[in-house]
Amino acid sequence: MKVHILTSYKQFIYCTLLLLFFTGCERTTDGLDAPGFSTNPDVFIDTFSPGLNYAAFGGSLVTAFDVDIETTYNNTAASMKFEVPNYNNPSGAYAGGTYFTSDPRDLSGYNALTFWAKASKAATLDIVGFGNDLGASPYQTSISGLQINTNWHQYIIPLPDASKLTAERGMFFYSEGPEEGLGYTFWIDELKFENLSSLAHQTAGIFNGEEVTVSAENGQTIQITGLVSTHNLPTGINQSVNPSSRFFSFTSSDPSVATVNPEGVVTVLAAGTAVITATMSNLPASGSLTINSVGEVIKPPVPAPVPTRPADKVISMYSNAYTNVPIDTWNTRWLYSTAEEFFIQIQGDDVIRYRNLNFVGIEFSSQPIDAGGMTHFHIDIWTPDPTNPPNSFKILLVDFGADATYGGGDDSSHELTFTSPTISTQNWVSLDIPLANFSGLVNRNHLAQMVLSGDLPNVYVDNVYFYNTGAPPVTPATAAPTPTYAAADVISVFSDAYTNIAGTNLNPNWGQATSVTQEAIQGNNTLKYTGLNYQGIQLGSNQNISSFAYLHLDFWTANSTTLNIYLISPGPVETPYSLSVPTSGWTSLDIPLSEFAPVDLTNVFQFKFDGNGTIYLDNLLFRK
Amino acid sequence: MFRKINILLLVTILVVSGCKPDDFQKLDERNWQLVWSDEFDGAEGQNPDSLKWTYDIGTGQNGWGNQELQYYTNRPQNVSTDGNGNLVITAKRESYAGSAFTSARITTQGLFSQTYGRFEARLKTPYGPGLWPAFWMLGANIETVSWPQCGEIDIMELRGQQPNIINGSIHGPGYSGGNAVTKGYGLQDGRFDEQFHLFAVEWFPDRIDFFVDDYLYQRIEPADVSGEWVYTQPFFLILNIAVGGNYVGFPTEQTPFPQTMVVDYVRIYEEAN
Repeated sequence: MKVHILTSYKQFIYCTLLLLFFTGCERTTDGLDAPGFSTNPDVFIDTFSPGLNYAAFGGSLVTAFDVDIETTYNNTAASMKFEVPNYNNPSGAYAGGTYFTSDPRDLSGYNALTFWAKASKAATLDIVGFGNDLGASPYQTSISGLQINTNWHQYIIPLPDASKLTAERGMFFYSEGPEEGLGYTFWIDELKFENLSSLAHQTAGIFNGEEVTVSAENGQTIQITGLVSTHNLPTGINQSVNPSSRFFSFTSSDPSVATVNPEGVVTVLAAGTAVITATMSNLPASGSLTINSVGEVIKPPVPAPVPTRPADKVISMYSNAYTNVPIDTWNTRWLYSTAEEFFIQIQGDDVIRYRNLNFVGIEFSSQPIDAGGMTHFHIDIWTPDPTNPPNSFKILLVDFGADATYGGGDDSSHELTFTSPTISTQNWVSLDIPLANFSGLVNRNHLAQMVLSGDLPNVYVDNVYFYNTGAPPVTPATAAPTPTYAAADVISVFSDAYTNIAGTNLNPNWGQATSVTQEAIQGNNTLKYTGLNYQGIQLGSNQNISSFAYLHLDFWTANSTTLNIYLISPGPVETPYSLSVPTSGWTSLDIPLSEFAPVDLTNVFQFKFDGNGTIYLDNLLFRK
Repeated sequence: MFRKINILLLVTILVVSGCKPDDFQKLDERNWQLVWSDEFDGAEGQNPDSLKWTYDIGTGQNGWGNQELQYYTNRPQNVSTDGNGNLVITAKRESYAGSAFTSARITTQGLFSQTYGRFEARLKTPYGPGLWPAFWMLGANIETVSWPQCGEIDIMELRGQQPNIINGSIHGPGYSGGNAVTKGYGLQDGRFDEQFHLFAVEWFPDRIDFFVDDYLYQRIEPADVSGEWVYTQPFFLILNIAVGGNYVGFPTEQTPFPQTMVVDYVRIYEEAN
């Protein structure tokens, strides 16, 4: 609590950086004296009270505090002066420190710490209080946001429960930053503990008096916050202070479900409901914490399947199988998101656990992902929650466009929804989603955000990556190159570029299993063999090609492992020529006709292919 | 409770009694006979006895003459017995009929009035800036002669921002509002909103004595007033919490609400011969 309060404003270091003052007149301790500590109520009355020391907080302007003999309350001899630095003062960003005694004091006979204060301009003191002893500070208590002005006024810090303060060393502490960037000066005088009969109507609260309900699970710890003690001041207004948890006694209605320690830390032990309440002294505190514990967390019993995609075809966001790209955050904590993320391990495998997931933003805009070369998105999810309809799980991908920043008119996104049976309960579900399914995602070169949402409050996530299937394309993306030989030097069998031999039968029935079709690729008619075993071509008329030099053809196959072409003359006389497959794109080949010897080049009339796979052919012709 | 002029001047003449409750006072013995009382023994949430009390409803004229902010109602949430022998008047911060606060003001006007005697109430006040609780009396002839000719005896009134000080005052022709004859009584060791205290006046033809917890802190005689001594005819009782107004200033964001005045009893005596 103590650290929390202070670090909420600035980062304090509770080491003694500097002892600015150390009074020489410490309380003498002769061991014969009884255990009772000094009950001296004075902290600073014109000078340091006996045994009082000062230490500036780390990072503060260490010279901020000084004793002033000019501006004092009621023209007394001296006051405490505090110079708050300007914003970005290199010597210290704020004024702050604590006044503590060498020997403890017994403050149990008092009910308030009072002082007079004024400032060079109206200001709001960030924190003033007592109980900071530079150590454990068990009873640190403070007021946040105390308004002071240019007139001397008395201020009262009511003690939450003085009976605890029988051995206190922290007499006073403060922390104050610039007001709207500007430094100023304030003074404090007549700083002392008092027993005021004019304080009344004390109330105490936890969670600022609210009745808080949380769902929880075994092993979870919850800090009780919003500790407050309020007195009505002599002016009729209430003054709240923020006491440490040590002023409270916490009680669990069912310690078998949840326990609470004196520091106000609740530990959940079992399934069930427990209500944490508190008292201060004998005063019941308003506010409570109701814990609805589900007990042991339901976790995946086994890790997600290990990905097998080759790493060079993967852009991984989260997986032990790959080197992951940098992700800014797995939980942007956007407004209204209740999601909490935990990075856990299942049998040594790193997994992200989301709890209370309504939606969660995942951001990687610092280094957007270029998934232009990827074909799929993969994610493994596991949920203990019901997945029966209408429950769903949703994935939204956002691309920031060419400007790689949010907005700018070039962003695009698409959300996909998954329902049963795609999703299922207590099973790892591997989603392999073609990026084309994210149809609204116009671009995917600057992916920057992902949002997971749906009706599953508990989701375990693993192996989040984009990948390229590596599978060759099924059809040529482009047409075969158009030949540029002079028509007079060509006898064409199959080509859009020339007049072909009339009457050629592209699919004579030779008992083959091959399916023959023609497809237009980029407008270019292409011959396609599917399921090739063998396939013939019967020329429309016998050809004398003895004055020609080459047989030219373009072929394309992604999956053929063997392919031969035969030129045939009657007899039949045929000679195979082996084609290199599969191809990388179109292969354009000019085969010297001599390769087909002893085929009679003066009288050829058939072609034959054999091999396997799916073959695309084009520009089958003889040329000189 | 009727003020017409700058009431804040009053602050300068506030005298906080330095006397301690255990100071010895020698007072004449009196033989007081109870003639009227309300012990407020009604059930929880009930309005007080309609045979004894009536209500001032609404905002009066000009905030009951004082720029007060509350709307007085007779709803049980503003005025009811608590089932434990007390009457509770509750001032709330709530929007109601155009006002920002509600409260209650009950009187015995037309039901009971008396000339001379002892008038006392045991009560615990509300607190907070802008709260103005009072136990007071007005001359029953107010309808015919109007204020301040009718006279006003404030047995107890308190500013919520000073919950350890009450004032006893009388207002009459020529000495009303900021010129009233008044005196404060302060607790050195406590506040009027923490425990019950007994507030009383003992009214005789020649004087009015003001008491807190049977300690006489003020005696006003005809010679002490600059105008006519009008305290020779029946007065009726009033209990109320005002919110805001000239006397007390206005509530702030820091004023805690709701606020209650808890009245254990009101008892009226006359002196037996």
